[in-house]
Amino acid sequence: MNIYLRELKANGKSLFIWCIIMIAFVAASMGKYAASSYISGQSLNDIISKMPDAVKSMFGAGTFDLSKAIGFYGAMFIYIVLMAAIHASMIGANIISKEEDDKTAEFLMSKPVSRINVITSKLLASFTNIAIFNIVTLLSSLFLVNYYSKGENVTDDILKLVIGMFILQMIFMSIGIGLSALFKNSKLASPVTVGVMLVTYVLSLAIDIDSNLSGLKYLTPFKYFDAKNLMNGKGFEIIYIVISALIVILCIGGTFVFYQKRDLKI
Amino acid sequence: MNVFLHELKSYRKSTIIWSISMAALIIFFLSMYPSFSSSVSLVKKILEGYPEPIRKAFGISIDDITKFLGFYSYVFSFVVLGGAIQSMNYGISTISKEIKLKTADFLMTKPISRNEILTSKLLASLTSIVITDIIYLVTAYITAESVTKELFNIKLFFMVSVTLFFVEVIFMSIGVLISAVVGKIKSMISLSLGVVFTFYIIGMFQATLNDKAMKYITPFKYFDTEYIIKNSSYDITFVIISILIVLISIFLSYVFFLKRDIHVV
Repeated sequence: MNIYLRELKANGKSLFIWCIIMIAFVAASMGKYAASSYISGQSLNDIISKMPDAVKSMFGAGTFDLSKAIGFYGAMFIYIVLMAAIHASMIGANIISKEEDDKTAEFLMSKPVSRINVITSKLLASFTNIAIFNIVTLLSSLFLVNYYSKGENVTDDILKLVIGMFILQMIFMSIGIGLSALFKNSKLASPVTVGVMLVTYVLSLAIDIDSNLSGLKYLTPFKYFDAKNLMNGKGFEIIYIVISALIVILCIGGTFVFYQKRDLKI
Repeated sequence: MNVFLHELKSYRKSTIIWSISMAALIIFFLSMYPSFSSSVSLVKKILEGYPEPIRKAFGISIDDITKFLGFYSYVFSFVVLGGAIQSMNYGISTISKEIKLKTADFLMTKPISRNEILTSKLLASLTSIVITDIIYLVTAYITAESVTKELFNIKLFFMVSVTLFFVEVIFMSIGVLISAVVGKIKSMISLSLGVVFTFYIIGMFQATLNDKAMKYITPFKYFDTEYIIKNSSYDITFVIISILIVLISIFLSYVFFLKRDIHVV
Protein backbone atom coordinates (compact mmCIF):
# COMPACT_ATOMS: atom_id res chain seq x y z
CA MET A 1 0.00 0.00 0.00
CA ASN A 2 2.85 2.38 0.81
CA ILE A 3 4.49 1.75 -2.53
CA TYR A 4 1.21 2.31 -4.31
CA LEU A 5 0.67 5.66 -2.61
CA ARG A 6 4.29 6.65 -3.11
CA GLU A 7 4.02 5.94 -6.85
CA LEU A 8 0.78 7.84 -7.20
CA LYS A 9 2.38 10.83 -5.57
CA ALA A 10 5.51 10.55 -7.70
CA ASN A 11 3.49 10.56 -10.89
CA GLY A 12 0.95 13.10 -9.71
CA LYS A 13 2.51 16.18 -11.21
CA SER A 14 3.12 14.69 -14.64
CA LEU A 15 -0.36 13.20 -14.71
CA PHE A 16 -1.80 16.60 -13.89
CA ILE A 17 0.10 18.21 -16.78
CA TRP A 18 -0.99 15.47 -19.18
CA CYS A 19 -4.63 15.91 -18.17
CA ILE A 20 -4.45 19.67 -18.67
CA ILE A 21 -2.92 19.19 -22.13
CA MET A 22 -5.63 16.68 -23.03
CA ILE A 23 -8.45 18.95 -21.91
CA ALA A 24 -6.87 21.87 -23.77
CA PHE A 25 -6.54 19.74 -26.88
CA VAL A 26 -10.15 18.58 -26.87
CA ALA A 27 -11.32 22.11 -26.15
CA ALA A 28 -9.14 23.59 -28.89
CA SER A 29 -10.31 21.10 -31.50
CA MET A 30 -13.98 21.52 -30.66
CA GLY A 31 -13.58 25.28 -30.58
CA LYS A 32 -12.04 25.05 -34.02
CA TYR A 33 -14.99 22.99 -35.17
CA ALA A 34 -17.39 25.72 -34.13
CA ALA A 35 -15.34 28.38 -35.88
CA SER A 36 -14.58 26.42 -39.02
CA SER A 37 -16.40 26.30 -42.28
CA TYR A 38 -16.89 22.56 -41.96
CA ILE A 39 -20.36 23.12 -40.61
CA SER A 40 -21.58 23.88 -44.08
CA GLY A 41 -19.30 21.32 -45.64
CA GLN A 42 -21.97 18.90 -46.79
CA SER A 43 -20.99 18.93 -50.45
CA LEU A 44 -17.36 18.44 -49.53
CA ASN A 45 -18.30 15.32 -47.63
CA ASP A 46 -20.00 13.90 -50.70
CA ILE A 47 -16.88 14.27 -52.76
CA ILE A 48 -14.58 12.89 -50.12
CA SER A 49 -16.73 9.82 -49.68
CA LYS A 50 -16.16 8.84 -53.30
CA MET A 51 -12.39 8.77 -53.01
CA PRO A 52 -10.25 5.69 -52.53
CA ASP A 53 -8.79 5.16 -49.07
CA ALA A 54 -5.30 6.16 -50.13
CA VAL A 55 -6.34 9.70 -50.91
CA LYS A 56 -8.71 9.99 -48.00
CA SER A 57 -5.94 9.23 -45.57
CA MET A 58 -3.82 11.94 -47.15
CA PHE A 59 -6.48 14.49 -46.41
CA GLY A 60 -6.39 13.30 -42.84
CA ALA A 61 -10.09 12.96 -42.39
CA GLY A 62 -11.81 10.75 -44.85
CA THR A 63 -14.80 8.85 -43.63
CA PHE A 64 -16.06 11.26 -41.04
CA ASP A 65 -18.91 13.64 -41.51
CA LEU A 66 -17.07 16.81 -40.62
CA SER A 67 -20.24 18.85 -40.55
CA LYS A 68 -21.26 17.08 -37.33
CA ALA A 69 -19.52 17.68 -34.03
CA ILE A 70 -19.07 13.96 -33.43
CA GLY A 71 -17.64 13.40 -36.90
CA PHE A 72 -15.13 16.15 -36.35
CA TYR A 73 -14.25 14.66 -32.98
CA GLY A 74 -13.76 11.27 -34.63
CA ALA A 75 -11.35 12.76 -37.14
CA MET A 76 -9.34 14.35 -34.34
CA PHE A 77 -9.47 11.20 -32.22
CA ILE A 78 -6.30 9.68 -33.67
CA TYR A 79 -4.26 12.46 -32.06
CA ILE A 80 -5.97 11.90 -28.74
CA VAL A 81 -5.13 8.21 -29.02
CA LEU A 82 -1.55 9.04 -29.94
CA MET A 83 -1.16 11.18 -26.84
CA ALA A 84 -2.69 8.50 -24.65
CA ALA A 85 -0.36 5.89 -26.17
CA ILE A 86 2.72 7.99 -25.45
CA HIS A 87 1.58 8.58 -21.89
CA ALA A 88 0.83 4.92 -21.28
CA SER A 89 4.06 3.61 -22.73
CA MET A 90 6.17 6.11 -20.81
CA ILE A 91 4.46 5.17 -17.54
CA GLY A 92 4.82 1.48 -18.22
CA ALA A 93 8.45 1.67 -19.25
CA ASN A 94 9.48 3.94 -16.40
CA ILE A 95 7.66 2.64 -13.40
CA ILE A 96 9.95 -0.32 -12.76
CA SER A 97 13.10 0.70 -14.57
CA LYS A 98 13.37 4.05 -12.80
CA GLU A 99 14.37 2.35 -9.56
CA GLU A 100 17.52 1.04 -11.16
CA ASP A 101 18.07 4.23 -13.17
CA ASP A 102 17.85 6.44 -10.11
CA LYS A 103 19.79 3.93 -8.04
CA THR A 104 16.96 3.45 -5.59
CA ALA A 105 16.41 -0.24 -6.34
CA GLU A 106 18.73 -1.22 -3.52
CA PHE A 107 16.74 0.77 -1.01
CA LEU A 108 13.42 -0.58 -2.23
CA MET A 109 14.48 -4.21 -2.32
CA SER A 110 15.87 -4.16 1.18
CA LYS A 111 12.41 -3.34 2.54
CA PRO A 112 10.33 -6.18 3.92
CA VAL A 113 8.11 -6.52 0.88
CA SER A 114 8.31 -9.26 -1.72
CA ARG A 115 9.09 -8.49 -5.32
CA ILE A 116 5.61 -9.68 -6.30
CA ASN A 117 4.22 -7.17 -3.88
CA VAL A 118 6.36 -4.38 -5.37
CA ILE A 119 5.31 -5.22 -8.91
CA THR A 120 1.65 -5.48 -7.98
CA SER A 121 1.62 -2.09 -6.31
CA LYS A 122 3.46 -0.51 -9.21
CA LEU A 123 1.11 -2.11 -11.71
CA LEU A 124 -1.89 -0.83 -9.79
CA ALA A 125 -0.38 2.63 -9.61
CA SER A 126 0.20 2.78 -13.38
CA PHE A 127 -3.27 1.41 -13.93
CA THR A 128 -4.72 4.14 -11.74
CA ASN A 129 -2.78 6.79 -13.66
CA ILE A 130 -4.02 5.51 -16.98
CA ALA A 131 -7.57 5.22 -15.74
CA ILE A 132 -7.56 8.79 -14.43
CA PHE A 133 -6.17 10.06 -17.73
CA ASN A 134 -8.83 8.11 -19.57
CA ILE A 135 -11.66 9.38 -17.39
CA VAL A 136 -10.48 12.97 -17.80
CA THR A 137 -10.49 12.48 -21.56
CA LEU A 138 -13.94 10.93 -21.43
CA LEU A 139 -15.47 13.67 -19.30
CA SER A 140 -13.94 16.55 -21.22
CA SER A 141 -14.96 14.99 -24.52
CA LEU A 142 -18.50 14.28 -23.35
CA PHE A 143 -18.94 17.78 -22.08
CA LEU A 144 -17.37 19.61 -25.01
CA VAL A 145 -18.76 17.54 -27.87
CA ASN A 146 -22.22 17.66 -26.32
CA TYR A 147 -21.91 21.40 -26.05
CA TYR A 148 -21.37 21.77 -29.80
CA SER A 149 -23.51 18.93 -31.08
CA LYS A 150 -26.84 20.75 -31.08
CA GLY A 151 -28.74 18.13 -29.17
CA GLU A 152 -27.61 15.08 -31.07
CA ASN A 153 -26.82 11.99 -29.04
CA VAL A 154 -23.06 11.64 -28.98
CA THR A 155 -22.59 9.78 -25.71
CA ASP A 156 -22.61 6.28 -27.23
CA ASP A 157 -19.97 7.06 -29.83
CA ILE A 158 -17.67 8.78 -27.41
CA LEU A 159 -18.01 5.93 -24.92
CA LYS A 160 -17.05 3.44 -27.62
CA LEU A 161 -14.05 5.46 -28.70
CA VAL A 162 -12.78 6.04 -25.19
CA ILE A 163 -13.19 2.39 -24.22
CA GLY A 164 -11.14 1.48 -27.29
CA MET A 165 -8.55 4.00 -26.22
CA PHE A 166 -8.44 2.49 -22.75
CA ILE A 167 -7.63 -0.97 -24.12
CA LEU A 168 -4.92 0.62 -26.26
CA GLN A 169 -3.45 2.33 -23.20
CA MET A 170 -3.45 -1.01 -21.36
CA ILE A 171 -1.60 -2.63 -24.26
CA PHE A 172 1.16 -0.04 -24.39
CA MET A 173 1.51 0.13 -20.63
CA SER A 174 1.92 -3.62 -20.34
CA ILE A 175 4.39 -3.71 -23.23
CA GLY A 176 6.41 -1.05 -21.42
CA ILE A 177 6.36 -2.89 -18.11
CA GLY A 178 7.10 -6.22 -19.75
CA LEU A 179 10.09 -4.87 -21.65
CA SER A 180 11.52 -3.10 -18.62
CA ALA A 181 11.38 -6.34 -16.65
CA LEU A 182 12.88 -8.31 -19.53
CA PHE A 183 15.83 -6.11 -20.47
CA LYS A 184 19.03 -6.50 -18.49
CA ASN A 185 19.87 -2.85 -19.04
CA SER A 186 17.14 -0.74 -17.48
CA LYS A 187 18.03 2.26 -19.67
CA LEU A 188 16.86 0.44 -22.79
CA ALA A 189 13.28 0.03 -21.63
CA SER A 190 11.84 3.42 -22.54
CA PRO A 191 13.58 3.94 -25.91
CA VAL A 192 12.51 0.47 -27.06
CA THR A 193 8.92 0.90 -25.87
CA VAL A 194 8.72 4.25 -27.60
CA GLY A 195 10.25 2.65 -30.68
CA VAL A 196 7.57 -0.04 -30.69
CA MET A 197 4.89 2.61 -30.33
CA LEU A 198 6.24 4.76 -33.16
CA VAL A 199 6.72 1.81 -35.51
CA THR A 200 3.17 0.61 -34.95
CA TYR A 201 1.84 4.15 -35.42
CA VAL A 202 3.69 4.57 -38.71
CA LEU A 203 2.53 1.12 -39.77
CA SER A 204 -1.09 2.09 -39.15
CA LEU A 205 -0.59 5.14 -41.38
CA ALA A 206 1.01 2.98 -44.06
CA ILE A 207 -1.97 0.62 -44.00
CA ASP A 208 -4.20 3.61 -44.66
CA ILE A 209 -2.19 4.59 -47.72
CA ASP A 210 -1.73 1.19 -49.28
CA SER A 211 -4.63 -1.22 -48.97
CA ASN A 212 -2.38 -4.12 -50.03
CA LEU A 213 -0.89 -3.96 -46.56
CA SER A 214 -4.18 -4.48 -44.76
CA GLY A 215 -3.07 -7.99 -43.77
CA LEU A 216 -0.64 -6.33 -41.38
CA LYS A 217 -3.41 -4.67 -39.39
CA TYR A 218 -3.15 -7.30 -36.68
CA LEU A 219 0.37 -6.10 -35.94
CA THR A 220 -0.53 -2.57 -34.92
CA PRO A 221 -2.72 -1.81 -31.91
CA PHE A 222 -3.63 1.54 -33.47
CA LYS A 223 -5.77 -0.38 -35.96
CA TYR A 224 -7.51 -2.53 -33.34
CA PHE A 225 -9.92 0.18 -32.32
CA ASP A 226 -10.03 2.41 -35.33
CA ALA A 227 -12.31 5.40 -34.84
CA LYS A 228 -14.02 4.98 -38.19
CA ASN A 229 -14.83 1.31 -37.59
CA LEU A 230 -16.08 1.97 -34.07
CA MET A 231 -18.34 4.81 -35.13
CA ASN A 232 -19.60 3.53 -38.45
CA GLY A 233 -21.43 0.53 -37.15
CA LYS A 234 -18.81 -2.19 -37.07
CA GLY A 235 -18.23 -1.75 -33.34
CA PHE A 236 -15.72 -3.78 -31.41
CA GLU A 237 -14.42 -6.80 -33.26
CA ILE A 238 -13.97 -9.88 -31.13
CA ILE A 239 -10.66 -10.86 -32.74
CA TYR A 240 -9.01 -7.58 -31.71
CA ILE A 241 -10.27 -7.82 -28.16
CA VAL A 242 -8.81 -11.33 -27.95
CA ILE A 243 -5.45 -10.19 -29.34
CA SER A 244 -5.35 -7.24 -26.95
CA ALA A 245 -6.16 -9.43 -23.98
CA LEU A 246 -3.42 -11.86 -25.01
CA ILE A 247 -0.83 -9.08 -25.31
CA VAL A 248 -1.74 -7.63 -21.93
CA ILE A 249 -1.80 -11.00 -20.16
CA LEU A 250 1.45 -12.14 -21.76
CA CYS A 251 3.31 -8.96 -20.93
CA ILE A 252 2.09 -8.70 -17.37
CA GLY A 253 2.59 -12.42 -16.74
CA GLY A 254 6.06 -12.08 -18.21
CA THR A 255 6.79 -9.16 -15.92
CA PHE A 256 6.12 -11.22 -12.81
CA VAL A 257 8.19 -14.15 -14.10
CA PHE A 258 11.18 -12.10 -15.27
CA TYR A 259 11.27 -9.68 -12.39
CA GLN A 260 11.32 -12.46 -9.82
CA LYS A 261 14.55 -13.74 -11.31
CA ARG A 262 16.06 -10.41 -12.18
CA ASP A 263 19.63 -9.51 -11.27
CA LEU A 264 19.37 -5.94 -10.11
CA LYS A 265 22.07 -3.63 -11.35
CA ILE A 266 23.17 -1.60 -8.40
CA MET B 1 38.69 18.15 -29.11
CA ASN B 2 38.69 15.29 -26.62
CA VAL B 3 35.21 16.13 -25.45
CA PHE B 4 34.06 16.30 -29.05
CA LEU B 5 35.45 12.87 -29.91
CA HIS B 6 34.13 11.33 -26.73
CA GLU B 7 30.66 12.70 -27.36
CA LEU B 8 30.73 11.52 -30.94
CA LYS B 9 31.65 8.06 -29.78
CA SER B 10 28.85 7.98 -27.23
CA TYR B 11 26.36 8.94 -29.94
CA ARG B 12 27.72 6.37 -32.38
CA LYS B 13 25.28 3.59 -31.63
CA SER B 14 22.26 5.85 -31.60
CA THR B 15 23.36 7.57 -34.82
CA ILE B 16 23.63 4.20 -36.54
CA ILE B 17 20.21 3.08 -35.28
CA TRP B 18 18.54 6.35 -36.29
CA SER B 19 20.17 6.35 -39.73
CA ILE B 20 19.08 2.79 -40.41
CA SER B 21 15.53 3.34 -39.20
CA MET B 22 15.04 6.54 -41.14
CA ALA B 23 16.46 4.96 -44.30
CA ALA B 24 14.21 1.93 -43.77
CA LEU B 25 11.20 4.18 -43.23
CA ILE B 26 11.69 6.02 -46.51
CA ILE B 27 12.34 2.81 -48.46
CA PHE B 28 9.19 1.29 -46.98
CA PHE B 29 7.00 4.28 -47.81
CA LEU B 30 8.42 5.04 -51.24
CA SER B 31 8.01 1.44 -52.31
CA MET B 32 4.26 1.97 -51.94
CA TYR B 33 4.34 4.72 -54.54
CA PRO B 34 3.66 2.55 -57.64
CA SER B 35 0.45 1.10 -56.19
CA PHE B 36 -0.56 4.50 -54.85
CA SER B 37 -0.09 6.29 -58.15
CA SER B 38 -2.23 3.77 -59.99
CA SER B 39 -5.14 4.12 -57.59
CA VAL B 40 -4.81 7.86 -57.64
CA SER B 41 -5.19 8.37 -61.37
CA LEU B 42 -8.78 7.28 -60.90
CA VAL B 43 -9.48 10.00 -58.36
CA LYS B 44 -7.94 12.54 -60.61
CA LYS B 45 -10.57 11.78 -63.22
CA ILE B 46 -13.40 12.13 -60.69
CA LEU B 47 -12.02 15.36 -59.31
CA GLU B 48 -11.47 16.97 -62.68
CA GLY B 49 -15.21 16.82 -63.22
CA TYR B 50 -15.77 19.22 -60.33
CA PRO B 51 -15.65 23.00 -60.61
CA GLU B 52 -12.62 24.94 -59.50
CA PRO B 53 -13.94 26.32 -56.14
CA ILE B 54 -14.62 22.84 -54.80
CA ARG B 55 -11.20 21.67 -55.81
CA LYS B 56 -9.69 24.68 -54.11
CA ALA B 57 -11.54 23.86 -50.92
CA PHE B 58 -9.30 20.86 -50.48
CA GLY B 59 -6.36 23.18 -50.09
CA ILE B 60 -4.23 20.93 -52.23
CA SER B 61 -4.30 21.00 -55.97
CA ILE B 62 -4.81 17.59 -57.49
CA ASP B 63 -1.60 17.71 -59.42
CA ASP B 64 0.38 18.17 -56.28
CA ILE B 65 -0.56 14.96 -54.54
CA THR B 66 -0.63 12.74 -57.56
CA LYS B 67 2.85 13.61 -58.69
CA PHE B 68 5.82 11.95 -57.09
CA LEU B 69 7.04 15.01 -55.21
CA GLY B 70 3.62 15.49 -53.65
CA PHE B 71 3.61 11.92 -52.42
CA TYR B 72 7.19 12.26 -51.26
CA SER B 73 6.51 15.38 -49.23
CA TYR B 74 3.56 13.68 -47.52
CA VAL B 75 5.70 10.70 -46.56
CA PHE B 76 8.57 13.02 -45.71
CA SER B 77 6.62 14.47 -42.79
CA PHE B 78 7.05 11.19 -40.88
CA VAL B 79 10.77 11.26 -41.52
CA VAL B 80 10.90 14.77 -40.12
CA LEU B 81 9.06 13.57 -37.03
CA GLY B 82 11.74 10.93 -36.49
CA GLY B 83 14.53 13.40 -37.10
CA ALA B 84 12.98 15.86 -34.66
CA ILE B 85 12.88 13.24 -31.92
CA GLN B 86 16.50 12.30 -32.57
CA SER B 87 17.80 15.86 -32.49
CA MET B 88 15.69 16.77 -29.46
CA ASN B 89 17.17 13.79 -27.63
CA TYR B 90 20.67 14.93 -28.47
CA GLY B 91 19.88 18.49 -27.53
CA ILE B 92 18.36 17.65 -24.17
CA SER B 93 21.04 15.12 -23.29
CA THR B 94 23.85 17.65 -23.95
CA ILE B 95 23.96 18.93 -20.41
CA SER B 96 21.38 16.77 -18.66
CA LYS B 97 23.15 13.49 -19.12
CA GLU B 98 26.25 14.67 -17.26
CA ILE B 99 24.08 15.64 -14.35
CA LYS B 100 21.90 12.57 -14.44
CA LEU B 101 24.79 10.13 -14.75
CA LYS B 102 26.66 12.10 -12.09
CA THR B 103 29.63 12.70 -14.36
CA ALA B 104 29.33 16.49 -14.27
CA ASP B 105 31.76 16.93 -11.41
CA PHE B 106 34.30 14.81 -13.24
CA LEU B 107 33.95 16.81 -16.42
CA MET B 108 33.97 20.20 -14.74
CA THR B 109 37.22 19.58 -12.93
CA LYS B 110 39.05 19.10 -16.20
CA PRO B 111 41.13 22.03 -17.42
CA ILE B 112 38.70 23.22 -20.07
CA SER B 113 36.24 26.06 -19.82
CA ARG B 114 32.49 25.53 -19.79
CA ASN B 115 32.38 27.39 -23.06
CA GLU B 116 34.60 24.82 -24.69
CA ILE B 117 32.60 21.95 -23.24
CA LEU B 118 29.30 23.26 -24.56
CA THR B 119 30.79 24.09 -27.96
CA SER B 120 32.30 20.66 -28.47
CA LYS B 121 29.14 18.97 -27.29
CA LEU B 122 27.02 21.02 -29.67
CA LEU B 123 29.36 20.28 -32.55
CA ALA B 124 29.25 16.58 -31.74
CA SER B 125 25.43 16.51 -31.80
CA LEU B 126 25.45 18.48 -35.02
CA THR B 127 27.90 16.06 -36.61
CA SER B 128 25.77 13.06 -35.64
CA ILE B 129 22.71 14.74 -37.13
CA VAL B 130 24.55 15.60 -40.34
CA ILE B 131 25.75 12.01 -40.71
CA THR B 132 22.20 10.71 -40.24
CA ASP B 133 20.89 13.20 -42.77
CA ILE B 134 23.48 12.33 -45.41
CA ILE B 135 22.68 8.63 -45.09
CA TYR B 136 18.98 9.40 -45.29
CA LEU B 137 19.38 11.66 -48.30
CA VAL B 138 21.39 9.16 -50.31
CA THR B 139 18.96 6.35 -49.52
CA ALA B 140 15.94 8.48 -50.33
CA TYR B 141 17.41 9.58 -53.64
CA ILE B 142 18.34 6.06 -54.76
CA THR B 143 14.92 4.71 -53.76
CA ALA B 144 13.14 7.59 -55.46
CA GLU B 145 15.04 7.01 -58.67
CA SER B 146 14.17 3.32 -58.66
CA VAL B 147 10.44 3.53 -57.85
CA THR B 148 9.42 6.34 -60.19
CA LYS B 149 8.96 5.89 -63.86
CA GLU B 150 8.30 9.54 -64.54
CA LEU B 151 10.88 12.29 -64.24
CA PHE B 152 10.80 14.43 -61.17
CA ASN B 153 12.54 17.67 -60.34
CA ILE B 154 15.75 16.68 -58.58
CA LYS B 155 16.49 20.17 -57.35
CA LEU B 156 13.09 20.37 -55.65
CA PHE B 157 13.56 16.88 -54.25
CA PHE B 158 16.74 18.00 -52.52
CA MET B 159 15.24 21.30 -51.45
CA VAL B 160 12.45 19.42 -49.70
CA SER B 161 14.78 16.83 -48.20
CA VAL B 162 17.24 19.34 -46.79
CA THR B 163 14.49 20.89 -44.66
CA LEU B 164 14.90 17.80 -42.50
CA PHE B 165 18.23 19.23 -41.38
CA PHE B 166 16.79 22.69 -40.71
CA VAL B 167 13.98 21.33 -38.55
CA GLU B 168 16.44 19.15 -36.69
CA VAL B 169 18.70 22.09 -35.90
CA ILE B 170 15.73 24.03 -34.53
CA PHE B 171 14.73 21.14 -32.29
CA MET B 172 18.29 20.54 -31.18
CA SER B 173 18.76 24.14 -30.10
CA ILE B 174 15.45 24.13 -28.23
CA GLY B 175 16.59 20.91 -26.55
CA VAL B 176 19.91 22.42 -25.47
CA LEU B 177 18.13 25.42 -24.05
CA ILE B 178 15.79 23.18 -22.06
CA SER B 179 18.68 21.18 -20.68
CA ALA B 180 20.57 24.35 -19.75
CA VAL B 181 17.62 25.89 -17.94
CA VAL B 182 15.86 22.97 -16.26
CA GLY B 183 17.64 21.62 -13.23
CA LYS B 184 17.60 17.87 -13.04
CA ILE B 185 15.70 16.08 -15.75
CA LYS B 186 14.42 12.75 -14.57
CA SER B 187 13.48 11.13 -17.82
CA MET B 188 15.04 12.76 -20.86
CA ILE B 189 13.14 10.71 -23.40
CA SER B 190 9.70 11.48 -22.01
CA LEU B 191 10.48 15.18 -22.01
CA SER B 192 11.78 15.19 -25.57
CA LEU B 193 8.86 13.07 -26.79
CA GLY B 194 6.43 15.36 -25.02
CA VAL B 195 7.83 18.48 -26.63
CA VAL B 196 8.22 17.01 -30.11
CA PHE B 197 4.78 15.44 -30.17
CA THR B 198 3.12 18.57 -28.88
CA PHE B 199 4.54 20.44 -31.87
CA TYR B 200 3.73 17.55 -34.20
CA ILE B 201 0.11 17.40 -33.10
CA ILE B 202 -0.20 21.17 -33.45
CA GLY B 203 1.21 20.73 -36.95
CA MET B 204 -1.29 18.01 -37.90
CA PHE B 205 -4.00 20.16 -36.45
CA GLN B 206 -2.86 23.08 -38.54
CA ALA B 207 -2.86 20.95 -41.70
CA THR B 208 -6.37 19.67 -41.08
CA LEU B 209 -7.81 23.05 -40.27
CA ASN B 210 -5.67 25.17 -42.57
CA ASP B 211 -5.16 27.75 -39.87
CA LYS B 212 -2.62 30.42 -40.82
CA ALA B 213 -1.71 31.67 -37.35
CA MET B 214 -0.90 28.21 -36.03
CA LYS B 215 1.87 27.87 -38.58
CA TYR B 216 4.06 30.13 -36.54
CA ILE B 217 3.83 27.94 -33.45
CA THR B 218 5.23 24.70 -34.77
CA PRO B 219 8.63 24.24 -36.44
CA PHE B 220 7.17 21.32 -38.37
CA LYS B 221 5.34 23.83 -40.54
CA TYR B 222 8.15 26.35 -41.03
CA PHE B 223 9.32 24.66 -44.19
CA ASP B 224 6.04 23.99 -45.91
CA THR B 225 6.73 21.46 -48.65
CA GLU B 226 3.71 22.61 -50.61
CA TYR B 227 5.13 26.12 -50.73
CA ILE B 228 8.58 24.88 -51.72
CA ILE B 229 7.21 22.80 -54.57
CA LYS B 230 5.06 25.61 -55.85
CA ASN B 231 7.61 28.42 -55.65
CA SER B 232 10.87 26.46 -55.67
CA SER B 233 12.10 28.61 -52.82
CA TYR B 234 11.74 28.74 -49.05
CA ASP B 235 9.31 31.07 -47.34
CA ILE B 236 11.62 33.85 -46.19
CA THR B 237 9.58 34.81 -43.10
CA PHE B 238 9.93 31.35 -41.68
CA VAL B 239 13.60 31.12 -42.57
CA ILE B 240 14.19 34.25 -40.52
CA ILE B 241 12.09 32.92 -37.64
CA SER B 242 14.05 29.67 -37.67
CA ILE B 243 17.41 31.42 -37.64
CA LEU B 244 16.25 33.63 -34.79
CA ILE B 245 15.02 30.66 -32.75
CA VAL B 246 18.28 28.80 -33.23
CA LEU B 247 20.52 31.77 -32.46
CA ILE B 248 18.55 32.89 -29.43
CA SER B 249 18.30 29.43 -27.91
CA ILE B 250 21.97 28.69 -28.42
CA PHE B 251 22.97 32.07 -27.03
CA LEU B 252 20.73 31.66 -23.98
CA SER B 253 22.08 28.16 -23.44
CA TYR B 254 25.60 29.55 -23.15
CA VAL B 255 24.43 32.30 -20.81
CA PHE B 256 22.59 29.91 -18.51
CA PHE B 257 25.15 27.14 -18.63
CA LEU B 258 28.07 29.42 -17.77
CA LYS B 259 26.36 30.67 -14.64
CA ARG B 260 24.71 27.51 -13.61
CA ASP B 261 25.14 25.76 -10.29
CA ILE B 262 26.10 22.22 -11.13
CA HIS B 263 24.57 19.73 -8.77
CA VAL B 264 27.19 17.28 -7.59
CA VAL B 265 26.82 14.18 -5.52
